[in-house]
Amino acid sequence: MIELRQVWKRYGERVVLQPLDLRVRSGETVALVGPNGAGKSTALRILAGTVQASGGSVTREGTIAYLPQRLGVPPATVVGDLAALVAAARNVDGALVRDALSAAGLADRLDTPLGELSGGQRQRVMLALATAGEVGVLLLDEPGISLDVEGAEEVRAAIAAARERGAAVLFASHHLHDVALLADRIVLLVEGRVVAQGSLAELAASAGVPWHASAADPPIERIYRVLVRRSRQLGPARAA
Amino acid sequence: MTAALLRFELAAARKGRTAPLFAAGFALACVTVALAGLSANGALSVQGFARTSISLLQLVLWVVPLLALLTGAAAGAECYELEYVAALPFTRSQIVLTRWAAWLGALGAALCIGLGGAGVVIAVFAGTADAGRYLGLLCFALLLLSACLAVGLAIGVRLRDRGRALAFAVVAWCVLAVGVDLAAIGLLAILPAGTASWPLSFILLLDPIDLARVLGLGLFSADEIAGPTGAALRAVMGGWGASLLLAGLVAWTALPLLFAAGTFRRRDL
Repeated sequence: MIELRQVWKRYGERVVLQPLDLRVRSGETVALVGPNGAGKSTALRILAGTVQASGGSVTREGTIAYLPQRLGVPPATVVGDLAALVAAARNVDGALVRDALSAAGLADRLDTPLGELSGGQRQRVMLALATAGEVGVLLLDEPGISLDVEGAEEVRAAIAAARERGAAVLFASHHLHDVALLADRIVLLVEGRVVAQGSLAELAASAGVPWHASAADPPIERIYRVLVRRSRQLGPARAA
Repeated sequence: MTAALLRFELAAARKGRTAPLFAAGFALACVTVALAGLSANGALSVQGFARTSISLLQLVLWVVPLLALLTGAAAGAECYELEYVAALPFTRSQIVLTRWAAWLGALGAALCIGLGGAGVVIAVFAGTADAGRYLGLLCFALLLLSACLAVGLAIGVRLRDRGRALAFAVVAWCVLAVGVDLAAIGLLAILPAGTASWPLSFILLLDPIDLARVLGLGLFSADEIAGPTGAALRAVMGGWGASLLLAGLVAWTALPLLFAAGTFRRRDL
């Protein structure tokens, strides 16, 4: 379980995240969506502990696995060395982590520096390491970035598997169809503040977009555009 | 778990180019100095550990601080690239300290290879007299490496940007290698005769390179074999003792590391 209570963040004079309340329970998957600069990555980094909140309280329960948007280690880092570190940090057998890499088709890359892998391979390595072993909280920042169709499918499978194992999953994504497919709840951030949150059906109702859960292909992009446009028309003061 | 992080950092330091290049270059320079010293009289069996060590000490005092400051600065700035590692259950202090320890291990091994190679040459051609003191020189070199790595790391963590950190490290090296000595000379010129001991001793504690220099010269009774400079330094340090100098070098490691760890703990990645 993870929880943010009235957490906000300021860089200099600029407030990048307005006071945010967010709770993700074990076995629940929540997606953070919003335009660039909305504060999604900042919220994830605060939860991961790599950025300190300017105020509010953060609660984390269970082992945290975090996949940052950028690489998060120097490019010269060798895959096998990072795998050994992750195994030791999570107190799991190194073979388990290597198996996770094998399952991602990367068993022959253990001696390769991450900087020598393609963007997609790098992301698959980091995803495999992030989800290896018992994970209580899975934080993913744009996990589908740089991935091909198969890689994107691996991301979906990894998120689904983590949820099955009872992890609290919070991910930020611009891939709205993945969001509609995977998330139990969606939180829409615009310019650092939450402008809408709920299930897809609740967001559809809020946006005034007709849709029934039984219908295929939810119009999530339309829902997203309506809600973002509305938040910008209302402005920060009204929306807050 | 700290051991795992240390292994990770050691692997990164070992697989980079800095440590192997330093090992090769420093070994070559040390052996060259050893041989050049030995051949000064036209024969290869005259000079022993003591006199050659004074030449090697100069090499250590110029090369080791520069490399350690640059490496430390780069490693410190690189701490901000470790977002993935920082999200694992390691503290920020652990990250900084293991980085320092790993580079100390990697560059320390290179230093041992270099001075060890020269030691073998000296032992083969000139015998093993004063070999124990030569080991002392190696220890002081390692302490100097440790201190300058810590200073470099503090610079890198503080400045964050790799380019700025490297530039500042070069400036720091100039100040420590030359600037403090110039200040000391200026002080000697200004102060009345016989009153310079305490101010000079204080200045000495402000410079890890000078601390290592005085320790090294003292180790080989430099007043006898290193001319008036060595004698003057020994005279100034007469009442202090090597233990205080050693404590000074240790402090030059501990304080910058504390600063680096504290700074990194407060910063966002």
